[in-house]
Amino acid sequence: MAEIDIRMTVNGSVQQLKAGAGRTLLSVLREEAGLTGTKDGCSSGDCGACVVILDGQPVNSCMVLAPQAEGSQITTVEGLAVDDELQPLQRAFAETWAFQCGFCTQGMLMSCHALLMSNLNPTREEILTAISGNLCRCTAYQGVVKAVEQAAAEMRSQDQNRHE
Amino acid sequence: MNDSNIVGQWTSAPGAHDIVTGKARYCPDLRLPGMLIGKLLYSPHARARIRHLDVSKARAIPGVFAVMTHEDIAGENSYLYAAPDQPLLAVDEVRFQGDAVAAVAAVDEQTADAALNAIEVEYEALEGLFDPLQAMQAGAEQVMSGEENVMMSRTYRSGDVEAALAAADVIVENTYTTPWAEHAFLETEGGVAMVDDEGVVTVWSSCQAPHRDRMQIARALAVPESMVRVITPYIGGAFGGKDEAHVQIHAALLACAAGRPVSLVRGRRESILTHVKRHPFIVECTTAASSDGRLLAVKVRAIADAGPYTNATHEVLNKFGEFIGGPYQVQNLEVEQIGVRTNNPITGAFRGFGAPQAAFVYESQMDDLARKLDIDPLQIRLLNGVDTGTRMYTGVVVREGSTMKESLRKAAEMIGWEKRNQSERRPASHLRRGWGMATILKGSGLGRGLADHAGVVLEMHRDGSVALRSGAADMGQGIVTVMAQLAAEKLGVDISSVRVVRADTARTPDAGASCASRQVIVSGNAVLEAAETIRESLMTIAAGKTKISKDRLELKGGKLLVDGEPHALSVADLALRAIAWGYPMHAESRCHFEYPDDVPEVTYKYSQEIFQFCTHIAQVLVDCETGQVTVERLVAVHDAGKMINPGGVYGQIEGGCAQGIGYALTEELVVQDGHTQNASLENYVIPMALDLPELEMGVLEVPEPSGTPLGAKGIAESPIIPTAPAIRNAILDAIGKPLYQLPMNAERVLAAVES
Repeated sequence: MAEIDIRMTVNGSVQQLKAGAGRTLLSVLREEAGLTGTKDGCSSGDCGACVVILDGQPVNSCMVLAPQAEGSQITTVEGLAVDDELQPLQRAFAETWAFQCGFCTQGMLMSCHALLMSNLNPTREEILTAISGNLCRCTAYQGVVKAVEQAAAEMRSQDQNRHE
Repeated sequence: MNDSNIVGQWTSAPGAHDIVTGKARYCPDLRLPGMLIGKLLYSPHARARIRHLDVSKARAIPGVFAVMTHEDIAGENSYLYAAPDQPLLAVDEVRFQGDAVAAVAAVDEQTADAALNAIEVEYEALEGLFDPLQAMQAGAEQVMSGEENVMMSRTYRSGDVEAALAAADVIVENTYTTPWAEHAFLETEGGVAMVDDEGVVTVWSSCQAPHRDRMQIARALAVPESMVRVITPYIGGAFGGKDEAHVQIHAALLACAAGRPVSLVRGRRESILTHVKRHPFIVECTTAASSDGRLLAVKVRAIADAGPYTNATHEVLNKFGEFIGGPYQVQNLEVEQIGVRTNNPITGAFRGFGAPQAAFVYESQMDDLARKLDIDPLQIRLLNGVDTGTRMYTGVVVREGSTMKESLRKAAEMIGWEKRNQSERRPASHLRRGWGMATILKGSGLGRGLADHAGVVLEMHRDGSVALRSGAADMGQGIVTVMAQLAAEKLGVDISSVRVVRADTARTPDAGASCASRQVIVSGNAVLEAAETIRESLMTIAAGKTKISKDRLELKGGKLLVDGEPHALSVADLALRAIAWGYPMHAESRCHFEYPDDVPEVTYKYSQEIFQFCTHIAQVLVDCETGQVTVERLVAVHDAGKMINPGGVYGQIEGGCAQGIGYALTEELVVQDGHTQNASLENYVIPMALDLPELEMGVLEVPEPSGTPLGAKGIAESPIIPTAPAIRNAILDAIGKPLYQLPMNAERVLAAVES
C-alpha cells in the first residue's frame, strides 16, 4: 500500500509521519511516533484502551484511519504531564487506586481529561457516562469516579486561586 | 507495627507514576532492534486430522524469517502444565479451535499474515465430541486416542450421606449448569523473545509464573534452563488466565529459529478462541435438612467439560469438591467429581478455581431450602454457619471463623435486611424488586501437602535505599505494593525508598505462581524475614553508636527514634556504618508456608486452611416484560485478615464484584460444535461503567492466626464467588421463580417469569 505523509500535532509538537492509507491512528501513534502509552485492547472500538483526544474530542484511535487525522491536534497520555509534573487527574488516579493492572488507565485518563476540559464540576452520572466506553476488568469504575471528583475539586480551587 | 504509617494505609503503587504517564511498558510495547512479528496459524476445525502440511511457500516469501511446524521443535512439544497432552504445535490432529498448527515470524504484520495464508494444510474434518454427557458414555469415541474421555472420576465421602438423607425432614434436589467464562484481561497474551549476546534466550512474558515459564521454554527448546531468562514487564491483568503458558514459548521458538527478536501478541479474537476458560459445570445436588433448617447432608455429582486437554481440570474439580459444602456445619457429604474430554474450548484456572461454580450451587440450594421451610435466608445461614473450631467435612478445622457470621450480620445491617419488606416490591405493574444473599468461604494458598514457598532478596544500600527482588508476578493485583509496604515498615524507611525489581528469573528468586491468593502470605512472609535480618544489623549499629539498649530504639520514616523521639542518626547513617563494618545488609529469605500440625485428620487432598469468608447481598429490580435484571444495590463484606494495602483490597473487592455481576447476568461464551460464536468484547459482554450499582463494601479485619504476615489473608479470589448466587437469590425473591443456569440473562429470566 502506498505510503502518504500525515502531518499532525501530537502533544504540542508538529509531526510528519508516514503511513499506509489503511493504517489506524492507533497504529501510527504507537509504531511511527513511538507513543506506546496508548494501548490496543481489542482493535474494534469496544474497550477504550486506545482513547486519545483528537481536536478536543475523545476518540477510539483504533477506529480512526490515520489520514483522517491530517492537520489535527492530538493529545495522548504522554502529553498530560507538563515537564514531568503530574496533573491533578493523574495524581488522583494514583492516589485513589483507580486502577490495578493499568492497561485500561491511559484510555480512561484521556476520557476523563476530555470531560474535565469542558466540565470542572461533573456529577457521578456524567463521569460514568464519560467512561462508558472504557472497559476496566480489574478494579471496575468507582475508583475512577473518586479520582475524577478529587481532581475536579483540586482544579476548581486552582482556578479560583488564579482568579483571585 | 501498630501505629504504622505504611501498613494499612492508602499508598500509591510503586508503578503508579509509570502507569499514569504512559511510560509503563507491557509486552506489546516492547521494541527491540530488528524485531519481527510472530503469528500462529490456528485450526479452522474443532476436530480434524491433518493430512498434509506444507509450509514451503510461506518460507519462500521475502521478509519471512521463520516458519515452524511441530517438526521444528527440538524439545518437548507440549505445554507441560498439568500433563504433557496439549501440543505447542499440532502433530497429526487438531482437537479444538485453538490448536495451533504452525508459527511464523516476519518483518511486519502484513508479511506475517501473508505467510500464514501461504501455509497449505489439508484437513480431514472429523466429527467432534461436544456434549460431555455423551462423551462420557461407554463406547464413545476417544477425543485423545488411547486416553479415556473421563479423565478424572473421583468421589469424596464424609459421614453417612444415605442414612442422613433417609432421616431428613426435607430434601431439595436440583440440577445446575454454568457456562464457559472468559477472563477478558485488557492486555491479551503476549511474549517477546530474543537471544542475547551470551546465547541466553530472553523472554518478556505476560504471565503469572515466570519461573515455570522458564522451565517450559527450556524444555521446548531443548536447552538448559540456565540458558533461558524470563522477565515480566508490566502485565495487563490475568485472573488465572495467564497461569498456564500461552504464546511465550512460541515466541522463544521463533526467535531462536529466526535469529532475530520476535514479538508475539494475540489479537482479541484469537485470545478468546484459544486460552483456557472457566470450566462449564453440570451439577446435580441434593441437600437434606431437618424441619428446623439444620443441614444434614449434601450429595453432589459434578461434571466438568474439560475440553480436549488436561490443563487444570483435576485441580479445579478438587477445589469445587472442597468448597461444595459451603461455610456450613455439614458432616455428611458426598461429592463425585468428573472431568470429561471434549472438542470444546480448553478450560483451566480462572479466579476462584471451581469455587464460583460450587457457590452458585450451594447458595442457591440454601435459599430453595429456606423457602421450602419458610425460614429467613439470613437465619438459616446463621443457624448452619461454621465457627472458630468447627471441623468441616474435609477434616479441616476452622482456625478463625468468627467472620463467617460477622460478615452475614454486617452485610445484613448495611443493606437493611430486616427492613427490606418495607420497601416497594412492585414499583410498577411489570417491575419486581427482591433481595438475596450469598455467603462463602475460599482458601488462600496452594493447600496442605503441596510445596508452597516463595523467595525474596532484600538489600539496603549505603544511602538507605532498598532493592527488593521478587519473582512474584504482579498482574495488577498489587503484590509489588504489599511487599514494598512490608519492607518499608520493617526497615523504617519511606515506601518511596524501596525499589521493587519485578520478576526476572536472572535477578529474582522463584516465588512460584501468582495464584490461589497466595503471594501475600508466602512472599509477604519472606519479605518480613529478610527485612528482619537487615533491621537487626541497623539496630546493632544504632545500639552501639548511641549506647542505648535496642528496646528503646525504633526505626521509622528514615529516622532512628529513641524513646519515640527522633535522634540525629538517620537510617541511612546506620546503613552506611553497617555496610562499612560488614554487617548483613543483603538478605535472602524463603518462606515455606507450613500448615500447623494440629489437624491430624484432614482427609481432603490439598485442602486450603486459611479462609476468606465473605457475604454479598444484592437488591435487584426485574422487568417482567423483558427479563432484564438491574442490580440496584450490592453490599459486599469481606474478611481481609489484617489489611496491608487498603487500595488493593478495595480494588480487588470492587473488581471481583463487577466480574461476579458479569458472571451472573451476561457473561457466557456461546459455543456451537466447538466453535465460539462471540469472540469479541462487543459480543462477550463484561460490565461497563453504567451497568454497575455503586458498590457498598465492608472490610472485616480479624487477623489470621496461622502465621501469615501480620495476620493478613489473600483477598484475590473471594470477591467474585458470592455475587452470582446472591443475585440469583434476589431474582428468586423478586419473581418467586428459581433459576438454575448461569448466566441469568434476559431470555432465561423471562422464561422463568413466564414458567
